[in-house]
Amino acid sequence: MNKLKGGLLLSLVSLALVGCGSEESSTNSGSEAGIEGDLSFYTSQPDEDAQKLVDAFTEKYPDVKVQTYRSGTEEVISKIKAEQKAGDVQADVLLVADSVTFEDLKEEDLLLEYKSEELSEIPSNLVDPDGMYAGTKVMATALVANSTNVTEMPDSWNVLTDESSKGKTIMPSPFYSGAAAYNLGVFTRNEAFGWDYFKSLKENDMTVTKGNGAVLQAVADGEKSYGMVVDFIVARAKAEGSPVELIYPKEGVPVITEPIGIMKDAENEEAAKAFVDFVLSEEGQQLAADLGYTPIRKGIEAPEGLQTIEEMNVIDADISELYQAREDDKKEFETIFGQ
Amino acid sequence: MWQSVASRIQNQNKWWFLIGVLFVFIFFVLPIFRLFFLSFSSESGLTLGNYMSVLQDRSTWKTIENTLYVVLGSSIIAIILGVLTAWVVAYTNIRQKKLIQLFVFLPFIIPSYITTLAWTQFMSKNGFFANFLSLLPGTLEPINMYSLHGIIIVMGISHYPLVYLLTVGVLRKIPRDLEYAARVSGSSKWQSFRQITLPLALPGIASGGFLAFIASLDNFGIPAFLGIPGNIRVLSTYIYEQIVGLGPNSFERAATLSVILGILALIGTFFQWLLLKKSKNIETAVEDKEPRFLFHKRKRLTVEIFLWAFLLMTTMIPLVSMLSASLIKAYGLPFAPENISLKNYQFVLLENQKAVTSLKNSANLAIITTVFCLVAGTGIAYLRTKKPSMITKGLEMVIGIPYALPGTVLALAMIFAWMEPIPGWNPGIYGTIMILFIAYVTRFLILQVRGSITAFMQIDPSIEEAARVSGSNGFYKWKQILLPLIIPGVISGALLVFLTALTELTVSSLLWSSGSETIGLVIFNFEQAGYSTYSTAFSSVIVLLILLAFFILTILQKLWDRKVLHNEHTN
Repeated sequence: MNKLKGGLLLSLVSLALVGCGSEESSTNSGSEAGIEGDLSFYTSQPDEDAQKLVDAFTEKYPDVKVQTYRSGTEEVISKIKAEQKAGDVQADVLLVADSVTFEDLKEEDLLLEYKSEELSEIPSNLVDPDGMYAGTKVMATALVANSTNVTEMPDSWNVLTDESSKGKTIMPSPFYSGAAAYNLGVFTRNEAFGWDYFKSLKENDMTVTKGNGAVLQAVADGEKSYGMVVDFIVARAKAEGSPVELIYPKEGVPVITEPIGIMKDAENEEAAKAFVDFVLSEEGQQLAADLGYTPIRKGIEAPEGLQTIEEMNVIDADISELYQAREDDKKEFETIFGQ
Repeated sequence: MWQSVASRIQNQNKWWFLIGVLFVFIFFVLPIFRLFFLSFSSESGLTLGNYMSVLQDRSTWKTIENTLYVVLGSSIIAIILGVLTAWVVAYTNIRQKKLIQLFVFLPFIIPSYITTLAWTQFMSKNGFFANFLSLLPGTLEPINMYSLHGIIIVMGISHYPLVYLLTVGVLRKIPRDLEYAARVSGSSKWQSFRQITLPLALPGIASGGFLAFIASLDNFGIPAFLGIPGNIRVLSTYIYEQIVGLGPNSFERAATLSVILGILALIGTFFQWLLLKKSKNIETAVEDKEPRFLFHKRKRLTVEIFLWAFLLMTTMIPLVSMLSASLIKAYGLPFAPENISLKNYQFVLLENQKAVTSLKNSANLAIITTVFCLVAGTGIAYLRTKKPSMITKGLEMVIGIPYALPGTVLALAMIFAWMEPIPGWNPGIYGTIMILFIAYVTRFLILQVRGSITAFMQIDPSIEEAARVSGSNGFYKWKQILLPLIIPGVISGALLVFLTALTELTVSSLLWSSGSETIGLVIFNFEQAGYSTYSTAFSSVIVLLILLAFFILTILQKLWDRKVLHNEHTN
């Protein structure tokens, strides 16, 4: 009898402890004016880069506590939609791969309008005219080749369908990577490629992995010889000593801008706006350049080895068509590449 | 007067009992029923539509085919490895059996997803195995781990300790006299093995095999790490992808698939339980730990070398491979002194907020779950052993369901149970760490219950009666008599709960939210994103912590044994 009571008491105490532990969210001091509180940051940037961005931001605004959720763009969006279904979107600020994703969120009325002052230095064609989102970098998808396995560097996307590269190619999945989803839409609407290109990729035993990080790793390890991947990740690995080469194919490259936007039901609007300002500011853009990205702001230099947007031959497609067709494009991709 | 006191105590017991039953119903039975009903529901009410669409989908059948192939394949490997090692350890005179047993258990202690990481590093193009093969003539290449075969190999290795554990006990309990009698009557070694040993051991072996079968069905980490990159799906990862992908009807589809997976698992559990009962006929026999086959010195040495080579190959070598991969500063560089750096460890332990938070979260979850299960589980175990009845037996079975069911199925049941327990009411549990805590307790309680039952069953009831006759009862009886005797068994149950909760991945992969990441999840996310440098670094840290904890525990156990034995002697 006593032991049962004691046991129940002990278990109630432990439940209380758990309850205390999970109450970390309300840390608002409330008294001082200024940017403070909790900020929920959802992003598809690589962990390390997201961490450095958050660290730089919190150095400037030490009263803000940032919680980061990181996964591939498509999974981040799934999570937001699941939260929406459960009635409580937890994200405040969103930074994911491409503008097509943001168009979709804009249509679903999930974004907050905010035209930052910093936008004056950002090329207007890379910013949403309604102020729902703004590009933060310039990122092309290009070719990566293993410099130990490959003696003569290719110059065309056709190397991925060439018989000599059979089974040695790898690309990210449009079900995980937003860049890959965007590229799928753009390539299939381009006359030079279309769905036939993807069918040939499949016939050439193209491996589809999850994210760009995995693509780079497979090529750097020598497991694959060629990969379709975002440019900055290759330049960075090469600078660290990995045996990889970055190639901008002659047919041109699809370009994404990793836009940033604020969720409509964001709990901490002030901090969210400050975060957007920071990312687009000179300081934030210089940080991006230091991390190895091509910045979007006028006047900040691109890192070594990466082309600027003026130098690139950009392949693109109509954005509203892209976002409406995205789910169908993904289904079609699955039919071609599925089990 | 005594009558009324006694009946009052009985009535109070009834109240506790009702509360307990209600508790079990809400937390254990209801979520599963809801999941079951969800698989039949759609916008227009109850329907078989979900089943129709799922079963007509070609990829569902491919997934089921893959699942059965993988599960059967890995169970066969687990049985072969388990029986061989168990036979050698139980019956022969090789040396250092305790150490061998420790190495056999290593793949079981270390989370299967870390074992997977270790093997992928081992078999990678730049890895140890590739370098070893390059020394041999010809152009042999290492096995591609991202394949059905890779999954089967790693699963077989991770689960053979289960078969080993059951088989070694069963083999030791087979009375020597039976074999002697057979030999005296003229049968050869092989004949006596085939006609005496094997039939007696078979139920135990088969029971172990089914345990491996269920463990493989439930496993998420291995097919997630190896199958998803290679586009190979089994039921557990397929359900996960449905939920994470959020297509139309994804929750209903996931529920339907979960019911299918759950039925497969329950069938396996049923057979396992049946066979275990059958093999328990020799339960009363004492384990005979003396060797039965004595090898000559040279033959013994050969057997020992083979055994140790196998053990090291399946445990240490892949782990060392993973360790070396975590120390390289950039991908693709060979393992040379100038390429070694601790920067991955620096990132994972100091810079990355999520990794650090996950250590805290997992530790908290594991500790609180263990304490809760320890108290509740031991209490239930006491009831079960003192008052065995239909009700208590049924209670034990119901509590065991969340563990018998695959983790993916349980996680899904939890989501529905707690997202909107009563239509319209969102208690704010889903999306916080509370749901993980609830899921862990429901899932792992049975481990503690079983561990404590074993501990209680080893105490002769006469000990308790002797204590009562001598005048001590209640609290004193517990403190002086029962606790010291049951503590080793209870603690081993608690340890299992702690370790499993600390490194758990399957359930947390579906129930986590920002801020409540667990260790397994962080490693999974790193690997999914392609950052093997970080996942291997973090995994190496975890393995070191686990080994350290076991080391400390062995020392504590030795001290405890000495203390208890010492006390017994001085009395």
